[in-house]
Amino acid sequence: MIGLAAKPIEEILEMLHGREKIVLVGCGGCAPFFHAGGEAEVKAMADTLSQNGKKILAAISPPFGEFTCYVPWIEERLKPYMKEIEECDAILVMACGTGLQIVREVMEDGYGLVKPIYPANDTIGNMGGGRVLFGDALFREKCEQCGQCVLGQFAGVCPLTQCAKGLLNGPCGGSKNGKCEQQPEHNCAWIMIYERLKKLGELDKMKEFVPPRDYSKMHRPRVLEVAPLDFND
Amino acid sequence: MSLQPVLESGKFVVTAEVGPLKGTDITEIEEVVPLLKGKVDAANVTDQQSSVMRLGSLAVSHLIKERGLDPIFQVTCRDRNRLALQSDLLSAWVLGIENVLAITGDVPSLGDHPQAKSVYDLDSVQLLWVIQRLNEGYDMMGNELKGKTNFFPGAVVNPGADTEPAFELQLIKMEKKINQGAKFFQTQAIYDVDAFAKFMKRVEGFNTPVLAGIIPLKSAGMARYMNKNVAGVFVPDELIKRMAEAEDKTQTGIEIAANLIKELKGMCPGVHIMAIGWEKKVPAILDAAGL
Repeated sequence: MIGLAAKPIEEILEMLHGREKIVLVGCGGCAPFFHAGGEAEVKAMADTLSQNGKKILAAISPPFGEFTCYVPWIEERLKPYMKEIEECDAILVMACGTGLQIVREVMEDGYGLVKPIYPANDTIGNMGGGRVLFGDALFREKCEQCGQCVLGQFAGVCPLTQCAKGLLNGPCGGSKNGKCEQQPEHNCAWIMIYERLKKLGELDKMKEFVPPRDYSKMHRPRVLEVAPLDFND
Repeated sequence: MSLQPVLESGKFVVTAEVGPLKGTDITEIEEVVPLLKGKVDAANVTDQQSSVMRLGSLAVSHLIKERGLDPIFQVTCRDRNRLALQSDLLSAWVLGIENVLAITGDVPSLGDHPQAKSVYDLDSVQLLWVIQRLNEGYDMMGNELKGKTNFFPGAVVNPGADTEPAFELQLIKMEKKINQGAKFFQTQAIYDVDAFAKFMKRVEGFNTPVLAGIIPLKSAGMARYMNKNVAGVFVPDELIKRMAEAEDKTQTGIEIAANLIKELKGMCPGVHIMAIGWEKKVPAILDAAGL
């Protein structure tokens, strides 16, 4: 899922400086896991902004499970509030960068509305986890979305995200006690790959030359066209 | 001149290192070159070492060559994509540079521009492959070059890797580098001669020369710093103690380095002295080592 970190309120107030009438839009997809846009957070933000002199015209909170980045859903959630959106001075989106841009597109394409629109969060990475260690649930970036997954070659450890240098023919010269010399909190991805390939009896894979990566698969912005899902089944 | 004939001659090879500074003032380089010329077989020119922005290894390699000291042009993969790397290699050849050391490079977060984008479009093994292609007269996409290179490529290996998997990985990677054209290796600083001997036994069959790295100690503090911060470098307690108790630290540092060279001489075809700001002491170290 997409990892999110809520921006400090000072930064948000700075962004909304001079803008009094606000519409809030949350997200029920990844945001709730990071306390960054679920129903509770949208309500709390409405309260905080009101206390700071803002007028909340609408606080739109998709329920848990509804991704703001999925147009057919967010369209329906925004529809009843088009008057408020038209009237507002700014929209604050409590989702990821994708959610915000989809909200913008729905308003522009559907209603021809161009409004100031601001992010309440910083989008951090494609992450997984959630196990609770020492009180907090730990999420880690796992996937670079490179568009040419070769995880099978590396015993299920992605060198692009788990190796600080993203090496395909790793390791580099420096690990210290199994930890990355550049990021000492992290394990050396290549030691992880080595140990797993050894367990699998596939160490030969490590001796193969991995040719340079095809970055054309990452030229932005990328597009996918797929058959639509029918949620009415 | 390429390092190849020197390595083939059977002479004990000595390479040194020149680290460009931050700026356009080349006085220090001009002072160091005459001291090293004729005493060492070649000198590495580092490529923005430790991710600190500095005068480029391409320019300085050319400058030292002009002044009669053979360069080993260090190229890291951190800052340049495959287009720039191939282009810089062609440029280096045109400027008379023959030896290249292909390395990965430290991440920007360690240096003085921690917000920089790190590139790593190629890794050191892929870079060696690319050098092979340029030597054959083609770019990495298979386009024919109008004028090819004839580089003598080298790489690095870390015999001081501190755990069993890390050590085995160094050997796997060394073999990969040789398969992609590496013709010589330089190592990180060696202080444990026995560990080095074990490593050399493991790589005997590779038939590729390995130059043992030497970093002369300046103080006990420096040794402790390296133990804590520099991967693959392990200065044993007894040497730290010796430096701490020494009255003339410079002399003791030179003696330790010279002794290491004497001990390593029987195990490898040469040494690579990384004097890190102490380049002017290299002749004294060589004298003390009987070279």
